[in-house]
Amino acid sequence: MARGVMLMSGGIDSPVALHYMLRLGHEMTAVHLDNRPFTDDSPYTKILDHLEILRARYAQPIPLYVLPHGPTQVTLMRETDRHVGCVMCRRFMWRSAERIAEREGATFLATGEALGQVASQTLSNMRSATAAVALPIVRPLIGLDKQEIERVAREIGTYEISTRPGVCCQAVPDKPATRSNLVQILAQEDRIDVDRMVDDCVRHAVVR
Amino acid sequence: MYRKLRLCSNNGGFEAIPDPPCPIDLARARDRLAAAEVPVVDARVMLIATLPPEVTISRAGRLLFKTRDAADAEAGFARLRALLDLPPLADGPG
Repeated sequence: MARGVMLMSGGIDSPVALHYMLRLGHEMTAVHLDNRPFTDDSPYTKILDHLEILRARYAQPIPLYVLPHGPTQVTLMRETDRHVGCVMCRRFMWRSAERIAEREGATFLATGEALGQVASQTLSNMRSATAAVALPIVRPLIGLDKQEIERVAREIGTYEISTRPGVCCQAVPDKPATRSNLVQILAQEDRIDVDRMVDDCVRHAVVR
Repeated sequence: MYRKLRLCSNNGGFEAIPDPPCPIDLARARDRLAAAEVPVVDARVMLIATLPPEVTISRAGRLLFKTRDAADAEAGFARLRALLDLPPLADGPG
């Protein structure tokens, strides 16, 4: 079995995706990009509770890296086109997760993405976002619909945690792009110091 | 006039929406908050001020108070209104 890094958001999908990877016997590390002050602390506390359940279920330590993503969001909002903000945000999440994968000796990244649930989850946006990294990306939920994901979440006991109250991401633009192209995204990234931003984010990672 | 505070869609905080629209000059608001020693993050298209509670201030005038306590949100609104000369809250239902 392989070692992988799972992006965790605190929502319904990512603990289900993590459950599938653990069930197959993969050794997983969790990564959370902490979006405060654009959210509250609820995503973080939900993830701690998700991991408590999955650590017990699979007798795995599942380390959690928490990385500050708020400063990145501020720079993106100040310096780049808001319309493609969700794709830009995802590219930084993937880059940071890849750095953690290198640190942990992981050979793949994983996510709870399913097609079409939110603005960032169109094929063109996924392509633009994941072009930022070289490691393969596994999406255990890609062919499931929301009802199926929720049913599994209830079975493993993470649904009630995920649906607790919380502040939605305030950095999401009013009209997020559902189609993006890489040339457009790279032109936006020319305006900012991508490497320094990722360095700063990863340097302040805390392991829980 | 702001509509009465109400829980946001994910029940994580209370939002205040101006009706009619009441755009806020964010640069001016940032300076006023800073002068009152309120910590503020300037993301250009929005401000995030820690009164407490923490509040997101959009250009369009929408406010989101990150608390699930209605009294805390109302106290936050009152302080912000005084600092930024905002219109009052409506008395009726939101």
